[in-house]
Amino acid sequence: MNIIIGLINGMITSATPILLAALGGSLTYYAGIFNIAMEGMMLGGAFFGMLGSYYFHSWPMGILFAILGAILMALIFILFAVVLKMDEFITGIGLNLFSVGATTYMLRQIFKVKGAFSSPEIVPIPKIDIPWIKDIPVVGEIISGQNLIVYLTLLATIVVSYLVFKTRFGLRLRAAGYNRTSLDTSGVSANRIRVWSLILCGVLCGLAGSFLSLGYVTLFSEGMSAGRGWISLAAVILVSGNPTGIALISLLFGFTDGLGLFMQRSLPSQFTSMVPYVATLIALFVYSVRLKKKQTI
Amino acid sequence: MKRKILVNVVGVLLAFLLGAVVMLVQGYNPLETYYRLFEYSLAPGKIAYTLSKSVPLVLTGMSASVAFASGPINLGQPGQLLMGALLATIGGLYIDLPPLLMIPFLLILAMLGGALWSGVAALLKYWFNMSEFITTLMLNMIADFFTYWAINYPFFEANANHPQTPFIAKSGWMPEWGNFNSSVIVMVLAFGVIWFIVNRSTAGYEWRLSGQNSLFSRLGGVNISKNYLVVMLLTGALAGLAGGLVVMAGPHRFIKDIGGNYAWDGVMIAMVANSGIILTLVFGFFFSVLQTGSLGMELITAVPKELIQVLQAVIVLIVVAGRGYFETFFAKLEARRKMRERIA
Repeated sequence: MNIIIGLINGMITSATPILLAALGGSLTYYAGIFNIAMEGMMLGGAFFGMLGSYYFHSWPMGILFAILGAILMALIFILFAVVLKMDEFITGIGLNLFSVGATTYMLRQIFKVKGAFSSPEIVPIPKIDIPWIKDIPVVGEIISGQNLIVYLTLLATIVVSYLVFKTRFGLRLRAAGYNRTSLDTSGVSANRIRVWSLILCGVLCGLAGSFLSLGYVTLFSEGMSAGRGWISLAAVILVSGNPTGIALISLLFGFTDGLGLFMQRSLPSQFTSMVPYVATLIALFVYSVRLKKKQTI
Repeated sequence: MKRKILVNVVGVLLAFLLGAVVMLVQGYNPLETYYRLFEYSLAPGKIAYTLSKSVPLVLTGMSASVAFASGPINLGQPGQLLMGALLATIGGLYIDLPPLLMIPFLLILAMLGGALWSGVAALLKYWFNMSEFITTLMLNMIADFFTYWAINYPFFEANANHPQTPFIAKSGWMPEWGNFNSSVIVMVLAFGVIWFIVNRSTAGYEWRLSGQNSLFSRLGGVNISKNYLVVMLLTGALAGLAGGLVVMAGPHRFIKDIGGNYAWDGVMIAMVANSGIILTLVFGFFFSVLQTGSLGMELITAVPKELIQVLQAVIVLIVVAGRGYFETFFAKLEARRKMRERIA
């Protein structure tokens, strides 16, 4: 029983940052932006979150700084891809590498360390115990006692889903991706919608970043997003942006990640660390085969 | 042509200006910093070293350039470089031939390693239509862990403090004259071959055509899927060659993080060079100047060398954005001029 609870909690922990970033990616996907900068936004968020928490000794400031840091990255993306109309793919790659360089430089410049910075003065984001529920055996250990960001993620999934499908903004968002000329001619600036979708993506990636540096560990290390942004991009592509589908896919990736940790008893850790990336390849494979079948019918 | 050079130079200067502002804000002297940067990498005694350091940058840059110009979005250079380096190392550990045979043998192994890894992505696309854009990225991570496992277990050097392989056979070390490493010769040869293939052969013409407009070239009778496979294998081989040369010219063994940031720098070089082969060579050397010089800059002016990583990304963003912007600007000028002629 303990193993299963551990697996489920591990699944939730590893799924959270991927899901948050993928929700951001979903918004830009509907807006018709080829946004591959989630990795860079997440990394920026992780660094600034650590910075805010360290200087103000408070985790709410950490979250705020993480969101602002990720929005800063999103603004750079907006400047180049929307304002200067540069290729979105090149902007994304450039921004991701800029983010790696800038966070490494600032880590060195502000904290005088290379590689990673950790300090007892960084305040982590707390876990939330829900009264009554936490006393229920098994279920309580899963539903209660998770990190605040985990609950926020759940909320974000519902909000994004509602936003995209039930609001005027969502309608315009999808129109911007589906046919931007017709949106423009109807009097709504498609570019403005695209800018907002990118800023919201920044907010969500900032939350994901704060979970990385202030969630279960309180440290920042160079390139700590470790490909999670790319996995979330794969998740977005696999379900064509649908938020509910993204949630399921992210949980699946989280599960494989937890499974990898579990397999460490019998396999070298290098192989178990590969599991989420192999799982992404397998998911892409299943998707492609299904797509092919649909097309032949 | 002149306009192209102008756009690149102006973009680089703008990026330097931004870097200078960052330095001023932090209380450094930008002029001295830049002077030290170029002094350290371009001084007569140093230029051979800078040239040798540009080898992996130019090779991975060409790999990305050829791929992007021909269509496939091969972002797998980091993984292909590692697999090339690993295969060359394994060859050097178990086989010993006279240097004249050994060096080409190891280089071929390195290319095989890279091509093997890009081949996986190519076949996944060929058989199952899986986008190489994501698969190569995932394969990068897998190669990272796989090579780390390889130097931790099967090819681990006993008594070492951290994971690494023993030295490869001496005959496989790239000869060095002073600061000049002979890997530069391999790079120049590879550059010549690639330039010829892309610009002077039928295959290269077909690749460029497919890169511009895949439907048009298919209607024109180009075998798209065959070309796709060839380009993926070739670009993988180039990245693998970079990896092999890094081992054979540098530490002569596979150490942790041997790939460094070469491959992603290569991708950036390809982007800033607009996938042109000659510009890739120029920018590859230029990035090497920045990276080599950053050491001297840090030693003398105390500006952390990580600043160069930021500067590189800024150069890429500004030059590429500037290129697009200038093109529209010049097109507008042209249109206005024509308009005036019409009226007159």
